[in-house]
Amino acid sequence: MEIACVIEKRLAIPACPGRGGGPRSGHADLSDPVAAAEATDAMVRALEGIGAAVESEQFGEGFFAATGLRGLYGGDAAGVVAAAGRAVGEEWQIGVGPTRLTAFLAAAEWPRPVPVAALRTRLGVPEREAEELVEALERLGVEMLRAFNRLAADQVADRFGPLGLRALRLCRGEEEPLRPQAPREELVEEIELPEGTAGRQLDRALELLVDRLLAAPQRKGRTLLGLRLGALLSGGGSWSVEQGLGRPSAAPRVLRNVLGPRLEELPGPARTLRLQALGLGAAARDQLELEVGGAEPRRRRLRAAVREVRATQGAEALLKILPVDRSSRVPERWAMLTPYPEL
Amino acid sequence: MPGLRRLYAPQRVAVRTDPQGAPTLVEGTAVEAVREEWLVEDRWWTPQPLRRHYFELATADGRSLTVFRGAGEQRWYRQRA
Repeated sequence: MEIACVIEKRLAIPACPGRGGGPRSGHADLSDPVAAAEATDAMVRALEGIGAAVESEQFGEGFFAATGLRGLYGGDAAGVVAAAGRAVGEEWQIGVGPTRLTAFLAAAEWPRPVPVAALRTRLGVPEREAEELVEALERLGVEMLRAFNRLAADQVADRFGPLGLRALRLCRGEEEPLRPQAPREELVEEIELPEGTAGRQLDRALELLVDRLLAAPQRKGRTLLGLRLGALLSGGGSWSVEQGLGRPSAAPRVLRNVLGPRLEELPGPARTLRLQALGLGAAARDQLELEVGGAEPRRRRLRAAVREVRATQGAEALLKILPVDRSSRVPERWAMLTPYPEL
Repeated sequence: MPGLRRLYAPQRVAVRTDPQGAPTLVEGTAVEAVREEWLVEDRWWTPQPLRRHYFELATADGRSLTVFRGAGEQRWYRQRA
């Protein structure tokens, strides 16, 4: 099995040449998540165009099985890489290996021997947690993957816990099979906002977007599985959130109710609001409507409830759970209680 | 940080043990069985290492409790774990 990895070229630029000399293995530029998501979607669609079934779980990268495409492109991996390169363009780098990790290392052009820092974005945990593991390994003098690979699994489990063990399995080539996404159909609507749009006007714009998305002919009566709500900000930059629906739905009220609260996360005034379907399910007639908020907007009801609890029980009565370190083996580090924010 | 409180913080609890150190009585309630025990060793590379011996217990009144004792300590704590 040969796996090909495609990553955005700027993720392979050396970030700290003095320390390990390695390239930066990281996430796409999240200051502009809409652009990063669009670039990644375009890359995935381009690869699907040459027949690849692509797995892409984070912005700026994708994986596909190169083996199955050999017959189409000259009989070897080089032919597949060349075809993929032509499809995605010069902004992307491609590497091939027997596992995701080795393909990624090849694509990102990590130097050999490979430093343990290469694991930072490969463990499927927040980068801070991965960074702690990498730093702990480096402090103990385990600076290269091949040295890490020589450690016994029980020693690693004892010293570094489940994350260390996961890293070791990764280095030994034990990975989950590829999970390619179903080819994505583009279903997206966008609306320009007048200057200073906020509050009720913004809610109204969202309603309009939802109606337009549901009315799009290419939906063909099918339900939506998830949505990406994005905005171009008046002050420059962009913002984007992804929202699952719990169960497939094409009910405007359900969509509005799950997306409405997300609008509050907008970091500043927006000039454009954009809504994209992230997957399409079965036809709507087979689906039940998920009752989320009733006629009254959920946010308003929540605000009233918060006020009422504070008025009767005091300001400190309402707290929310803030996840801190769910992977810790010490339960009191899992979460903190913090005052519930003003709504 | 002001306003922040720990969740699942350990709480002191009175425990009597057998000669091997396993709990036999928790807050006056007899321990029916030790269902599981494990060691947690963390931050051993820092000046404040953490080493705890946890016990998951079934008590005579039908409850399931998790208690621990810190290494070198005689004090016992109860914790959701």
